[in-house]
Amino acid sequence: MSVLAPIICDNGTGYSKVGFAGNSDPSFVFPTAIATRGSASQNSRAPAVPTKPGHLASKRGVEDLDFFIGDEALANAKTPGYGVHYPIRHGMIDNWDHMERYWEQTIFKYLRAEPEDHYFLLTEPPLNPPENREQTAEIFFESFNIKGLYIAVQAVLALAASWSSNRVTDRTLTGTVIDSGDGVTHVIPCAEGYVIGSAIKHIPIAGRDISQFVLNLMRERGEMAAVPPEDQLRVASKVKENYSYVCQDIVREFRKYDEEPLKYFERYEGEHSVTGRKYGVDVGYERFLAPEIFFNPEIYSSDFLTPLPQIVDDVIQQSPIDVRRGLYKNIVLSGGSTMFQHFGNRLKRDLKQIVDRRLDASSVASGSVLKSSGVEVDVISHKRQRYAVWFGGSLLASLPDFYTSCHTKAQYDEVGPSICRRYQIFGSST
Amino acid sequence: MSEPGSLDVVFVDYDNVRFHLSTPERKTVLLLSMNIRCWDELVQYGALDILKREYGALLSSQTEPDYNVSLEIDLEQVPTDPESREAFVTSLALLKRNALAAPFERGFATQKELDSSGGQGELMQIHYRDEEAMYIQAAPDRVTVIFSTVFREETDRIFGKVFLQEFVDARRQPSIQNAPQVLYSNRDPPLEIRHVPGLRNSEDIGYVTFVLFPRHFAPAVASTTISHIQLFRDYLHYHIKCSKAYMHSRMRYRVTEFQKVLNRAKTEVATTERKTASGRTMVSR
Amino acid sequence: MSNVLRPYLAAVRSTLTAALTLDNFASQVVERHNLPEVEAGTSKEVLLNPLTISRNENERVLIEPSVNSIRLSISIKQADEIERILCNKFTRFMMQRAESFIVLRRKPVPGYDISFLITNTHTETMLKHKIVDFIIQFMEEVDKEISEMKLSLNARARIVAESYLTALQG
Repeated sequence: MSVLAPIICDNGTGYSKVGFAGNSDPSFVFPTAIATRGSASQNSRAPAVPTKPGHLASKRGVEDLDFFIGDEALANAKTPGYGVHYPIRHGMIDNWDHMERYWEQTIFKYLRAEPEDHYFLLTEPPLNPPENREQTAEIFFESFNIKGLYIAVQAVLALAASWSSNRVTDRTLTGTVIDSGDGVTHVIPCAEGYVIGSAIKHIPIAGRDISQFVLNLMRERGEMAAVPPEDQLRVASKVKENYSYVCQDIVREFRKYDEEPLKYFERYEGEHSVTGRKYGVDVGYERFLAPEIFFNPEIYSSDFLTPLPQIVDDVIQQSPIDVRRGLYKNIVLSGGSTMFQHFGNRLKRDLKQIVDRRLDASSVASGSVLKSSGVEVDVISHKRQRYAVWFGGSLLASLPDFYTSCHTKAQYDEVGPSICRRYQIFGSST
Repeated sequence: MSEPGSLDVVFVDYDNVRFHLSTPERKTVLLLSMNIRCWDELVQYGALDILKREYGALLSSQTEPDYNVSLEIDLEQVPTDPESREAFVTSLALLKRNALAAPFERGFATQKELDSSGGQGELMQIHYRDEEAMYIQAAPDRVTVIFSTVFREETDRIFGKVFLQEFVDARRQPSIQNAPQVLYSNRDPPLEIRHVPGLRNSEDIGYVTFVLFPRHFAPAVASTTISHIQLFRDYLHYHIKCSKAYMHSRMRYRVTEFQKVLNRAKTEVATTERKTASGRTMVSR
Repeated sequence: MSNVLRPYLAAVRSTLTAALTLDNFASQVVERHNLPEVEAGTSKEVLLNPLTISRNENERVLIEPSVNSIRLSISIKQADEIERILCNKFTRFMMQRAESFIVLRRKPVPGYDISFLITNTHTETMLKHKIVDFIIQFMEEVDKEISEMKLSLNARARIVAESYLTALQG
């Protein structure tokens, strides 16, 4: 029996989170980027073509080892001869050649682990085609000879991560996951560990948009004049990360700021990344306006206008009726863009209003004959929200059940990649 | 620099080495513990002396249960200027390397003694993995390092053979004539360790012998040699895996090419939708 | 292409072209079934004589025709252990993706490395001579690919060994 901790590898579109089971944080978080020799102009969207097609173009034949991943890849983006590629698109692996090499270095260079000694837990987005799972298994079992593999759905791991919150008493895998990263926000309903694929909704508002919105606000106020143009977006995202919070009432918040600007306005001090010149900006209304775009998207975007609580309600209403109570009761936040203070409270309040309004309407429609006992709405925030998916994986992989739920190398050799088409869920008490 | 917080992290290194970094008592005192499979053997060959030399007072008298060695790092006494701080962290990171260096250093030292007296040094065995071991023996004019390698999988075994054969042949290159001599044998253990009990004698096992001459462990290069040779197995396995990945990418390319050829065979069938009288679509199966 | 290979491939090409005269043929054994007879093997009279084209003892092609389907199995040259494992890997990799290769069989016929099954539906929806082209091209390139992979493995091993030992020179 292996005593070495399983490796948890959560490869997201923007960042990869890798580390060992049992830890509370990933050991490494770096961009899912790979810089390879070859022209940068070669669009990584094109079908996977190895740098050396067919012929023995060169006798050396180790060009494929000449690459960087993560931060090093971005650092080498401008080195002549290297091109940066992002092997994952919209959560799904797009370029298997690059991804395989990316994993090579992740395991050997960063984790310094011999894959033959470890079990692996990988993550996949909801609605990942089973073929992708097979290809992943093929790489991990055939190239790396790993001991065992478990591929978990990210949303389910996010639910598992919420077990660490002391407000959660039963370890259930039923709930709604709001996963908001850098590029896109998903609302994903899960029933007993299975994603209800037909009800998933995506919101085109996420971290990147919030930063852009903060930038717009500060430019309008003229604050950004002091900041060099190339640093502006970075300053905006720092402001977002460090000073923003969700307010309960915009109008009152505006009034508060206008009455006592000194108390609420903050000062951000920065330094030019090249020249080292110091500058400072005042941070004002954007503190509470930034995350407000989730709740009132019309202040930022003109084509997407549905507030987040409404989307969550739609998602749950589209799910089978027998799980809706469970979905309302257990709304779990995951990803960096859900980290704003009071985000959960606000979401809970707004959603509760929507639900109560509907209940009232239906009781009126029935002539006050039928009265609902009410629907419990709860939004769970917890400390591990930022890397919730990774943490959920770490939690699950340290359960003793994990080893029995894994597909082992022996099973793979016997059955082949199709073994990874199906996965059993485990760990929940229900 | 941010405030010290409490910490409890486990991580690993190659060859079944486990680390545990935690703050059991105070937030400013880090405890770094290491579990290494062949610890008892390493102690026998003087690992403790080396660790004392490298880490001195950091070496904790109380070893964490379930681990072999613990270092206690008081964050308040860590050097503050960036350069020596970096050096300090690097030296901590070399904990495994230093522990595993013991038998090598002893071997090198023994060789110097034998140089005048003659005879054979003790055969040091380090079972650093469950199935694989490392043997080090000093002789009057050289130090022999033998690795036993086991490949669990057929492909790995065959790829491994190709690689190891090249290690043997590589010395013919004029540019690397000074490199240590490498010998490789499949199945049969080399003479030096043939008397060791419990050696497996099956198809999947191989023995790699490095013959190090004094010029390879002259004081100036000894430590690089040690670090380098420790990583031999990992280096080999990394490259075997990379070759498989490379084969995969070639095959992927070839398969898409074949796909294109086959697609040329498909005729452009005019796909007009056919409807039944009631308006349902006809589908051919 | 070597001189020996050309007649071999030509023989396969003409035999295969001749064999690819397939017709829709409903099963005589089970009502409303339409199976590739060469696979089902339930009615002897619709199976034609199987034929082996052999270049040498290692490389040969087995063609099993029937009224509505033909099965073609290839045994690929494997000179040594390395070629054997590479060939194994490559065919496995392809058969893993048999779905997209329409005419590829998921398992080879015993004694061969890879098998194709062409039915009358295939010849109706695809150009017959192009299917033959595909099979011939596959046979041509698979040998080349395997020997190239072997070469590159050796080349890679040499570089890897050299760079390791260079660092150890002392």
